[in-house]
Amino acid sequence: MRRHTILPLLALAGWTSGANAGDLYVICNVGVTLQPSEIKDTFIGEKGFVGTVKLAPADNSAAQAAFLEKVLKVDAVKYAGIWTKKSFRDGVNPPPIKASDAEALAYVKQTPGGCGYVATAPGAEVKLVARF
Amino acid sequence: MFKQIGNTARGLMLGAALLGGGTPAVARAAGSEAEQLAELRQKLDQSLKKLDESLKMIAALAARVQELEAARAPAAATATAAASAEAQRIETVETKVAQIETANASRVADTTGLPIHGFADVGVANHNPWNADLKGYNVGNLDFYLTPQLGERTKALFELNFETDTDGSISFDLERAQIGYTFSDEVTVWLGRFHTPFGYMNTALHHGSWIANALRRPKFLNFEDHDGILPVHTVGSWLTGALRGDDGKLLYDVYVGNGQKIIGGVIDMRNAGNDHGQLIAGGRIGYEWIGGAADGLAFGLHGLSSTITDDQLPQHDTRLRVFGGYAVYDTDRWENISEVYFFDNQDLSGNTGSHRSEAGFLQLAYRATFGVPYLRYERAALQQADQYFAQQAFGASYWRAAVGMRYDIDLKSAFKLELANTHITDRARHEYIEALAQYAIRF
Repeated sequence: MRRHTILPLLALAGWTSGANAGDLYVICNVGVTLQPSEIKDTFIGEKGFVGTVKLAPADNSAAQAAFLEKVLKVDAVKYAGIWTKKSFRDGVNPPPIKASDAEALAYVKQTPGGCGYVATAPGAEVKLVARF
Repeated sequence: MFKQIGNTARGLMLGAALLGGGTPAVARAAGSEAEQLAELRQKLDQSLKKLDESLKMIAALAARVQELEAARAPAAATATAAASAEAQRIETVETKVAQIETANASRVADTTGLPIHGFADVGVANHNPWNADLKGYNVGNLDFYLTPQLGERTKALFELNFETDTDGSISFDLERAQIGYTFSDEVTVWLGRFHTPFGYMNTALHHGSWIANALRRPKFLNFEDHDGILPVHTVGSWLTGALRGDDGKLLYDVYVGNGQKIIGGVIDMRNAGNDHGQLIAGGRIGYEWIGGAADGLAFGLHGLSSTITDDQLPQHDTRLRVFGGYAVYDTDRWENISEVYFFDNQDLSGNTGSHRSEAGFLQLAYRATFGVPYLRYERAALQQADQYFAQQAFGASYWRAAVGMRYDIDLKSAFKLELANTHITDRARHEYIEALAQYAIRF
């Protein structure tokens, strides 16, 4: 019984504590409600809408390696191949690439439907979808 | 500082007074009163003299301190001013960086540009991949495709292809010209010329040799002007989408377009419409597993129907009916593809009745560390009494066995080798063995 009480508290403490080295935050514009299970489909072009909102994901070159490894679980070669085929078949373009956390954050903040990822803890101006 | 010095002087004077007040009592006990007074006076004079010297020293020290403080004040003011300027400079730089980041974020959000991509390939072979009568070096395709994003829901796809025809001449084709509107992930409508959605390979691995592991498509699935026997392009409208489930997605396609015509032995997709108003109509439905043990597995069924005419006198009209299916297992390790097509064509202008034919292939490819070796067997058994095949320049039956390998040189270029044995089993029966090499890129 006591363990059942402590574990959620520890989990909560882990969630609310500050950024740890190697953390990755997937974020979206405040107007987007995205489930963690939908992140992969969003970034490989399989999911284009949340309700009536058109999703506009963006990559972040400063954190892309960690994102591909932790979230999409593919390497850069396969990721490029996925988008080449997707673009050729469906006429969909790959996400634009941002150069830094600050740029990615600014993009997500100001783009309706925008989603991205950063390695530093984001503020309340964007919606946190998941932390990896 | 001066207050401290004053307190120190007053303390010294009090000390001297106390010293002077305590000494007479001792002196009275020791000698005469006059001597004692003289001695006391002398001691008092000495004390006062020392006190005076101390006060002078203190005053000198105070003056020095004042002098030093006066000298230090301008330096401190200079340092404060420098720190302020530095802070202002940093703030300016930070503002500029923030403005650049915001501008960059805004600029790439603009989707009105014109992304252009492409594929190209060249090769060498003892038999040309599309015309076994030719040998030597060959130019394959230079294929550009453009994907302008015209808004949140409107998109377009144009594919311009420069290709070497079977006679060696270079031709130019607008392979795809489609404009679509996406209602949701489940529904997109395209209008224009598109890859006819049947089987798997025709939409997934069309032009652009780099995109496929094998060096070339199965012979019967080639493009209309490269031995193909199926209408791989359609000019019409196409409804497509995917319904996402827990373990995969249901894919569907429904389309209708201009009925094709065989002109000069080649299927023409009638880009400007046809003269008889006949249509081609068809659909495809499939399921693709995502995640879990079946990740990468996909199955599908497809069918199409059309009235195909030709340029002969008298003209032949054939009711083309095709149905079939596909199975794909595409993972990090395997790319296995199988497709089958059954034809049940009806002669509408003559009295030869119905004709059944079939075609299919099986391809196994393994993504190894050193490359992607593959095996393929393909076969087409086509009734030559069927005017649909009889009027096509490449409508003969055949089978082909091939083994090959793809080696990725880098992210955007691949080198492929293939050995194949092809048997033409009707019309002019013959066989030939091919050794082909290809250098394919994307950009």
